Amino acid sequence: MSLFSRFMDSWRKYRKPGYYDEFDYHWTMAIDLDKCTGCEACVTACQAENNIPVVGEKEMARGREMQWIRIERYWEGEFPDIKLRFIPMMCQHCDAAPCETVCPVGATYHNQDGLNAQIYNRCIGTRACAVYCPYEVRYFNYYDHHWDSPLDKQLNPDVTVRGKGVMEKCTFCIQRIRQAKDLAKDDGRRRVRDGEVQPACVQSCPSKALVFGDRKDPDSQVFKSMHDPRNYRVLEELNTDSSVFYLKKVDA
Amino acid sequence: MNVSIVPALKVLRPAAMLVVVVLVGLVLGYWANATFVPGTSPEQPIAFSHRIHAGENEIPCQYCHTQARRSPSAGVPSVSKCVGCHNEVATERPQIRLLLDYWANQQPIPWIKVHDLPDFVHFTHKRHVLAEIACQTCHGPVETMDRIQLTSRAIDGSTQAGHPWKMGLCLNCHRENEVENGTDCLTCHK
Repeated sequence: MSLFSRFMDSWRKYRKPGYYDEFDYHWTMAIDLDKCTGCEACVTACQAENNIPVVGEKEMARGREMQWIRIERYWEGEFPDIKLRFIPMMCQHCDAAPCETVCPVGATYHNQDGLNAQIYNRCIGTRACAVYCPYEVRYFNYYDHHWDSPLDKQLNPDVTVRGKGVMEKCTFCIQRIRQAKDLAKDDGRRRVRDGEVQPACVQSCPSKALVFGDRKDPDSQVFKSMHDPRNYRVLEELNTDSSVFYLKKVDA
Repeated sequence: MNVSIVPALKVLRPAAMLVVVVLVGLVLGYWANATFVPGTSPEQPIAFSHRIHAGENEIPCQYCHTQARRSPSAGVPSVSKCVGCHNEVATERPQIRLLLDYWANQQPIPWIKVHDLPDFVHFTHKRHVLAEIACQTCHGPVETMDRIQLTSRAIDGSTQAGHPWKMGLCLNCHRENEVENGTDCLTCHK
């Protein structure tokens, strides 16, 4: 190895401490805004899948809502020529995530699959990550939420019921990724096939606007979607290197 | 000269009261703990003995805990599983009579869970059983226990009775066996 490449290596390590040069999987989502109708099926599916509490009107007004995925609504133009835009917004699983650098206890970090992990039992609730997140997709448990019987019977056993004082956010349905890997192992496969992992939002989308998969597989659907000429990433100028790609809506 | 101890007693009275209250509290607390917290070796509704079944009669663990190799949870056998043998075997013993009462009433047996993991931990029996990890590695020498006793393994490999499992046990084993991504938090935390 030449002196120059060794210098470049150590420079890269200095610039990105603790980051991976290459991911094992690189989970990515692509959202086609041309197909999105803003029906909020993904929101409901996420709420049910991930044991997200319904906080109610009062807490919502205080800005303490819990929705790992939300539909943001924008009006464009003035009244007669007005246009309504939707954009689903969830944790972007940035590869250079601002939230990860700020956590004092390392409760949020990047793992080998390109996921921005949130470890609830390590979180001490400083809420610093929520301040640093440019997408405003981290939600804090201000209370111990509870589910009235018989609603508590429908809680997902594969997902923790988060207690008071921890931060939470979209996990790309880590329980489903884990299960797909488990089934792949049963079949004696090393890797998960494209389409085997479907987060709740992707599964429930009636217009198939959301696509999820491994970016490292060039045959995967998400690879094709993310290289669509319409693609862009939200707040790309912040260099967060996010894993959620949006495909721009084309006006007729 | 008249000397009275009454003033001294008056001063001591609150202190004495405090002592009494603390004593009563301790007794009550001990009773509440013993009654409402199952502990590490709770008394089960039927005095089922793993020593007789798994030890003396050498019934394999997975004969009853059939879900261990198929699902995250090892599963407690249904009453019908017990009755499958005990229709014929040892039907006269008082504990088996209890079991057959549950069977006759079509009621599940309210077993008390001993080995429990916190909600934020994902553990799947399936992967570990298929990797041929012996049950005793984590559960201790179950085949010698009359009443099941919470047993964990210390990091040095020795079994310790009455201690809950700790993260070090999992991590140490994952490191020793070089499990793929075995030390990533999301492998176990959900």
